[in-house]
Order: sequence, then C-alpha cells, then structure tokens
Amino acid sequence: MSKYLEKLRNCRLAIKQNGGIIGAYLQLFRTDELKYGNHIGTDKYGNKYYENKSYFVARSRWIDYAPKYGYDFDGSQVPADWHRWLHYMTDDPPTKVKPCPDREWMTDHEENLSGTTGQYVPYSTVTPKIHSWNPPKNN
Amino acid sequence: MLRLLPNSRILSKAIPPVNISYKARECASKAAETVEVFVDDKPVQVQPGSTVLQACAQAGVEIPRFCYHERLSIAGNCRMCLVEVERSPKPVASCAMPVMKGMKIKTDSPITKKAREGVMEFLLVNHPLDCPICDQGGECDLQDQSMNFGSDKSRFTDNQFLGKRAVEDKDIGPLVKTIMTRCIQCTRCVRFANEIAGVSDLGTTGRGNDLQIGTYVEKMFKSELSGNVIDICPVGALTSKPYAFVARPWELRRVDSIDTMDAVGSNIVVCTRGGDIMRILPRIHEGINEEWLADKSRFSYDGLKRQRLTSPMIKDESGNLISVDWETALLRVCDAITSVKGAEIAAIAGGQVDAEALIAMKDLLNKLGSESLNTEEIFPMDGSGTDLRSNYLLNSSIEGIEESDAILLIGCNPRYEAPLLNARIRKAFIHNEIEVGYLGPKIDLSYNYQHLGDTTTSLENIKSSQFYKEHLSKAKKPMIILGSSALQRADGTAVFAKTQQISNELKEAGSSWRVLNVLQRVASQVAALDIGYRPGVENVRNNKPKVLFLLHADNETVRREDLGKDCVVIYQGSHGDQGALMADIVLPGAAYTEKEGTYVNTEGRAQRTLVAVNPPGLARNDWRITRALSEMIGQPLSYDNTNEIRDRLAEMSPNLVKFDTVEEANYFKQSEELFKDIKEKIKQDSFSLPMIQLKDYFMTDPITRASPTMAQCVKANNKEA
Amino acid sequence: MLRKFWSGTLKNLISSKSFHTSGSASAGHLFTHRDTPENNDATPFEFTAENVKRAKDIVSRYPVGHEAGACIPVLDLAQRQNDNWLPISAMNYVAEFLNMPKMRVYEVATFYTMFNRNPVGKYHVQLCTCTPCLLGGTGSDVILEAIEKNLGIKPGETSTDKLFTLSEVECLGACVNAPMMQINDDYYEDLTPETTEKILEACKRGERIEPGPQAVDRFSCEPAGGLTSLSSKPTGPGFGCRPDL
Repeated sequence: MSKYLEKLRNCRLAIKQNGGIIGAYLQLFRTDELKYGNHIGTDKYGNKYYENKSYFVARSRWIDYAPKYGYDFDGSQVPADWHRWLHYMTDDPPTKVKPCPDREWMTDHEENLSGTTGQYVPYSTVTPKIHSWNPPKNN
Repeated sequence: MLRLLPNSRILSKAIPPVNISYKARECASKAAETVEVFVDDKPVQVQPGSTVLQACAQAGVEIPRFCYHERLSIAGNCRMCLVEVERSPKPVASCAMPVMKGMKIKTDSPITKKAREGVMEFLLVNHPLDCPICDQGGECDLQDQSMNFGSDKSRFTDNQFLGKRAVEDKDIGPLVKTIMTRCIQCTRCVRFANEIAGVSDLGTTGRGNDLQIGTYVEKMFKSELSGNVIDICPVGALTSKPYAFVARPWELRRVDSIDTMDAVGSNIVVCTRGGDIMRILPRIHEGINEEWLADKSRFSYDGLKRQRLTSPMIKDESGNLISVDWETALLRVCDAITSVKGAEIAAIAGGQVDAEALIAMKDLLNKLGSESLNTEEIFPMDGSGTDLRSNYLLNSSIEGIEESDAILLIGCNPRYEAPLLNARIRKAFIHNEIEVGYLGPKIDLSYNYQHLGDTTTSLENIKSSQFYKEHLSKAKKPMIILGSSALQRADGTAVFAKTQQISNELKEAGSSWRVLNVLQRVASQVAALDIGYRPGVENVRNNKPKVLFLLHADNETVRREDLGKDCVVIYQGSHGDQGALMADIVLPGAAYTEKEGTYVNTEGRAQRTLVAVNPPGLARNDWRITRALSEMIGQPLSYDNTNEIRDRLAEMSPNLVKFDTVEEANYFKQSEELFKDIKEKIKQDSFSLPMIQLKDYFMTDPITRASPTMAQCVKANNKEA
Repeated sequence: MLRKFWSGTLKNLISSKSFHTSGSASAGHLFTHRDTPENNDATPFEFTAENVKRAKDIVSRYPVGHEAGACIPVLDLAQRQNDNWLPISAMNYVAEFLNMPKMRVYEVATFYTMFNRNPVGKYHVQLCTCTPCLLGGTGSDVILEAIEKNLGIKPGETSTDKLFTLSEVECLGACVNAPMMQINDDYYEDLTPETTEKILEACKRGERIEPGPQAVDRFSCEPAGGLTSLSSKPTGPGFGCRPDL
C-alpha cells in the first residue's frame, strides 16, 4: 500500500515542480518525462540542471533545456563544463568546483550545427567541369 | 630508313610507292593475276607485289608490328613482324617482303615465336618500366604485344648499374608531349611528318644505340595535323599534352560523333568520363578523314567547357545581362516577337548549327511570316545561285581527289580551311603524280604547286597559262576547287560564273566526272543552303529587322551599329562570344557534342552527331528551344522528337537523312546557262585569304576561341615566328 | 671479400655514368643541337666563290631531282672550309643549297662521326683504339698515354690553345700498320710513343711530317719483318712450259 502512496507522492512532487497540471503536461509533451529533483544550477544559456539520487544512476541527473530552444533541444547544447557533471565524470557541478579557470582564449560554447543551414561545408578544391560565361557589366 | 623528300618528285617516281591506298593498288594490278601463297598451310590468293604481312592479313593472321603502318611507307626497322618462310635461311621481315609464288609462310612456328620473343626482349631492354604512369597504358602496342608475343622472362640484368638508355625529352609544341626514353625508334612519326603532313621537322639523329627521334634543333612541330603522331605512336613516347595524366582508356565512354570545326565533317569518337569530355579521337572513314584528324578538331574540346552559356539571360534596366529561368526568358522573346510584324523578324545562322536547329528556326519564322533566314557565310545568289545543289558542293568528293589527275585551287587555302582535304591532295600529289595549280596569295600548301598568280586577272586569263594548256586541259579527270573565301568578295558571282564556265569547258562529254567543286569553310553551310537559308547577311543589314535571332552566329557579320535602335537581338548558342555580347536575350544552346544533330559536309554527305555529354546547366538542345518558343507564341511546330524532326528534314530535302551517302548533283549545264545572264564583271583585285599561316588556323569559331589549348598554340606559333 | 665488393658493385655505383648510357661509344656527343656563342643559327657561313663552283660541280654529278644525293660531299666541303667543323648555320646553308629539308641534313651530319658538329682544334688527332691497334705494335693504349701526356688533354677534349683535339675512333682500316692515328687527312702508322711525340711536336711547330708508316724499315703495308713470300725474282713468260711451245 505504502508503495502506491510513495508513487502518488512522487507524482505530486513532480507535477508541483513542473508548474502545476498544465506545466507538467507541457513538460511531458516536450520531454516525454516527468521528474522532480534538486535544482543544482543553471548555465549561462538558461539550461537548468537537476539531480535526484532516488532515481537510478544515469537517470538521476538531467537537464531542462532553456525555453528558447523550444522543441529544438539537442544534446550538444550542453556546455562542456556541465557535460562532465551530467555524464557522471564528476560529482561536483561547475557551480561548486570550476573544472578549469577561465582563459582569454576560450570560445563560447556552440551547439552542433550539422544538418542545418549553419553547418560547416569545406570549400571545393575541384575545378568546375564547366566554366560559365560571365557577361561583362556596364558601369 | 626513309628519305622521301617533299620536293623531289622524281625520287617518288623512281621508287614505286608500295603502300598507296588499297584502291590505287587495286587499280594498278587489276589486270595482273593473283599469286597463291600458303599461310600456315592455308592457301590464299593475293595480289602480286603485296607483302607477306598483307598476305597474312588476308588469311586472317595478324602479324605483330611496330613500324609498319598501312598509310605510311615501309621502313622495316622494328623487326617485330619476322616470320619464318620455308626455304629461307633466316626469318624474314614480313612487312617489307613481297610475296612470291608458292611461298610457304609459317606464322606460328617455333622459329617465328623465338624471333618475336627475341625482338621483344631487345625492345624491352631499353624501354622503361613506367607503364603505371604512362599515358599510353591500356592502349599501348608494346604492352599488348609483349603480353601476346613476348617471352615470360627477360635476360636483361643491369650488372653494371648503368641504367637503361635515357633520352632527353623534346619540346615540340603545346599539343604533343614527348617522353623520348620510351621511344622504340619505329620512325612512324617521322614518316608521318614527311609523307602525310608534309612538314619535314621530325627526323632521326645519331646512330646505333644513340639514335633518337627529334627535331635536332629546338623547334615546334609546326603542322596542322601534328596530333596524329600521338595516335600512330605505338608506345607512350608521343602523347597528348592536354590529355596528360587525365584518364585511362578503360574508364572512357566512347561516343561516335562528327567534327564541326571545318566543313570536311571528319568522323570522331568523343571520349567522356563522368559527363566530362576527356579527349577526341579520329574514327576511320575512308571517304573523309581516313584515320587522321586535324589539330583543331582534336584539341579544341576544352573550349566546350569554358565560356559556356549555362542559363538563359535577359537584359535588366541597367543594360546588364542577368541569369533568369527559361520561362522568363522565353516570355521576353514572346513579347518581342508578338509586338512586331512577322516580316520584321530575321535570323542569322552561324557556322556550327545542326540541320535540326536550322529547320526548326526556319519553320518558326515562316509561320510568323518571315522569310529572312540568313547564314553568315556568303554565296552568290544571282544566276542559279543556291537553287542547284551542284553549285555549292564539293562535287567530285574527297575520295575523288585520289582519282583526279590535275587540280586547280582557286582562292582557298585548303591546308587550313580543310586540313584533311589538303592531306588528300598531298597524298594524290605524292602517289599519283598529279599537278596542282593554285590561284591566290603565295602560301605553303605542304606540296609543290604551280602558282598562277594571286589576282582575279589570272583567273580570267587562266586559259593562256601554261598549267591550263599542259595539264588541266589534257587531264582526264580535272578538278577545280573554288574556295568559299573567294566567294565572300563583292564580285563573288562573277568569280563563280567564270569558274563554272572554265569547269564546264573541261568537262568531257558523256563523262560522269564532275569538275567544279566548291570548298565550304563552315560545317553548317551546306545543310543551311539545302534547307533554304539565304547566304549572306545583306538582307538583315538593309531591312533593319525589329527582332533578330542569332543562331550560333558569332562572327560579327552584323554589328549592333548595323541594326535599328529598337531591334531586339536574341542570341541562341553555346558560348559567350561576340553574339552573346550584342544580345538582349540569351538562350543557352548545346554544342555539337551535346546533341543529336545532322551536319552536312562540303561533299553534301549528311552525318549525325550523338549525345556524348549533356548540355551544361540549363542549356538545351537548340531545336527544342525553338520548339518550346513556338508553343509559347501559340504557333506550335509539328514535331516533338528527333524522329519527327528528321521526318520533317526528309520532307525538306531527302539527302539530309540519308546518312553517310553522297547524293549526286549534276546540273552544271543548266547552271551555266542561268549564269550567262550575269553581267557583273570580275573586279581587278587580288584574292585574300583569312588563314595564311598556321597561327591563323587555331582560333576561328566560338569553341576554339574559348579553348585554352588553342590559345597556347597561337602563343607558341607567335613565339616561333 | 670487402675488396671484391669494392671493385665490383661499389666502384661501379660511384663511377656510373649519370645520363647517357652509351657515352663511351659516342664520346660524349650530343645528338641534339644546343645554341652556343660560336655555334648558332646566326653563325656566319657561306661558301666561298671557289667552293660554290666546286659544290655546283659536285651537284652536277647527280641526276636532276637527286640533288640531295650530294649531301655528304657538300657537307664535307663545308666542313673543310670552316676549320674542320660544321656549325648549325652551315648545315642550314647546305640544306638550302641542295634544296632539301634542314632535318634531312641534320640526320646525315649526326649519323657520320666524321662530321664534327662542335669546334675542333687545328689538328684533329684521331687515335684508333680498335682491337688490332690495341694489340698490334706497341699497342694503342701506350700511344694514347703518350698523346695525353704530350698534349695534356683527354679523348674528346681540345687543348687550350685550340691547336689539338683528341678523339678515340673506331677502325680506320689500317690494321696492318697498327697502331695508327689520323691527324686531319694524314694517316700516321706504325707508331711508337717516340714517333708520336715527334709528330705532335712537329705539328706544334707548324711543320708536317711525312704521313705513312713511321717505322724506318717499312714503305707501306708490306710485312714488317721483310717479305715472307714472292721474295724471288718474278719468273718471265714461258715459265714451266714445254720448250717447244
């Protein structure tokens, strides 16, 4: 009996944390998952990171992508410092222990743009088979 | 070793030419009986005087050879063709050995095999093993024959570490690449240069092991047929410079086609790989190009990849041509056409248009009510004009040159206007002892000719010339070749009438031999005249049309200044050249390798090209563009596919679809009668030629003008001069 | 073992010729023309009036249309006129003179080793080093050594004073009198190092030693040790016949 009560409690907490019935429904719609846990931190892009050790390892840390991504969230939007915490490389989130000091040459995190218009395409080193005629321009 | 000199006629008289064409040989020995010889115990009847190698060929046995070539004289220096002959102490070189009655030739005996293996071993001693980086790899005679006839091992060991024989490479111009270490000294190239090309630039220097092929001094191999040494070279010593390290023969797709760089209509094979033309090779056609090809036809293919029109263009407000889609461009053409009267539309066809495009354009304009269809090339229209086919054809055919016994050339330079026709004349000159007379500026024709003057006066007084009295009037089969260049003159009609009169006087009664020949310069002219185009653009200049179609017309026969201010010029063609520069609307058409087109050569022989590669970008087959346009205007043409348009061609002129046949045209008498009314007099003037030197030859049409290889040829020739 | 390796492989590797494998046979001659200051298209060459006459005479011995047959004698005439060598301009001149393509003349001139296509000294010393000369008499290697020592040049070289050019040549057809050398047109036979030196010294002084066998006891090519046959007096007519005939 208490097993079911436990489940109900978890359900209630999860719904509460995700913003009530509607919020929980939207979250479920967006991520197919409804969890509750401690908010560990937020990165500078707006992604929120949670932990709940009562889940299995590998499911006990998760990210709630920033609302600006909408439905276009992607694993590569996790910055490197949070990535190591999220993947259990360390137990210390970057808010607690910075993985490395800030350097001048460090660039901003960029998500993987493959498959989008922003993807990297190397320039062609092959001469075209046909050279088109470029009509001369009047000034 | 051959020492046949271009100007020592008597030498060639003294030594009976052994390998003139089969035809000539047949004529010579028709009366003689055949000789029976035995090839591998198989009896064969052969012509007396033929060689053992030919007898074997007749018996179906192919003898390996390097130096022997059917169209060149016999050298007999490679020794690869050794065969055993019964009761002969040693193996004999079959290419040089005449057959004797009852000869027993053994082509498969141990002695023959051993001889071949021995020769092959010696050849390979000094031949580099660089087949993997050799351009001849895959089509190399040495490779093939060492596989077939060579030994499986070699006794060559370089004990002394001296290396194989190494020979310095020669620089003989931008077309032929030499890797002389690979040379096996077959001297085919030397004989080709001396005999066929008539340019004695190549030779053998040194002796023995140091013998090498070259020019001795640093100079170009200055010939318009130089590319052929690449084909006849049995190894990779002479290869194509533009094709160097480009492709392997087994990767290539070969498409039979026709060359359109001149009016000869040489048969070619277009080799492509992945939709890209890699090279162009000649295809054997005994009636036209034998197995040779002129340099412009062979090497100008890179011009098909440059300066191409790949999308339709129209002029924007600022007067710049901008790329648009077909619909926009065709709508713009529609607007231009529908806003003017039918008679205010005109078309000019250039030199490389196929018959299909010509007839589509003609049908469209006729439907719109215009009769103004013109060609760039001029031909006299007075008298019988272009009504009689015999007036504008090379009537006695290119092969007929070999039968002829005296030739008079008037106002043309066949060497550059039709290099392969000139090679035929040279062949006839060397083997048949014909006399050649020439009227025009003094030029080098690669054979000796009697110069009869360079003015029109000489034409009028031709009958008093020694050449006419001694050779032309006495000849059984005289030929008069009138160049199209001479007809571009203002008094072209009079020149033509005079030539015709001379020719008809020479014609023997009852003989079917045709004396008068006109040598056209561009590939499309005969088809255009057959279809009913009006030669010359005088019409356009005078009538000032409101809409002008330029169909591959790039020779600036009409300039913007000649046209009215409001004239809309529509250029339809393959290259951005002079025509596209003056156009308001540009429609990208296909070049000759990209469409199935019919071309009629100067003999009147219809031949067709096949699609080797697709037209680039948005470019389309020319007649289909016209067909699409007719649909938009609301006057659709009655044909939708190639078969239907060919039916339409047959309706117009049946000879246009009788491929590879020369239809006889024989109305000389009637034509002369019609020309008698001409009152025009020949102007006292000298003949002028557009192509005098080799450097004038290379860039003459939009394709060659776009070709970097041709530009290099011109540059190299300028440097040499 | 090591010595054997040195004398075989290594020595050959080091001394191997770099480019033209048959260099020894062709004595370093190049069968392509390279423009040099003294040998180029513009090198002046023209037959003297006398030689024009001679050349025309030579040409007249050939049938009309076969003028090219006179190529070798006319080239030789040109070579004699031009200090024993043929510049490219002379070949071009001959080609024009005989109305034949230039390349045909180049072919002839490169084929025959007697045509010198590069300047040679006043005295062109051609020493035969073929087998009979190598073996006969003192041997041609001794003579070669003597010449090299005397003139200070190696085969194929010209002395700095442009007086001598030394060439090693193949058989000149005087094997009976081996060893022998040819200086310009003269054959000097039965050489010893001493006589060789004497001949060269005379050349240096501008004198000419009588050509022929340099051995005192020989007039021409008769056996060196005196006649071994036909030594008796020739018999007259009627020898060995019956007296009544």
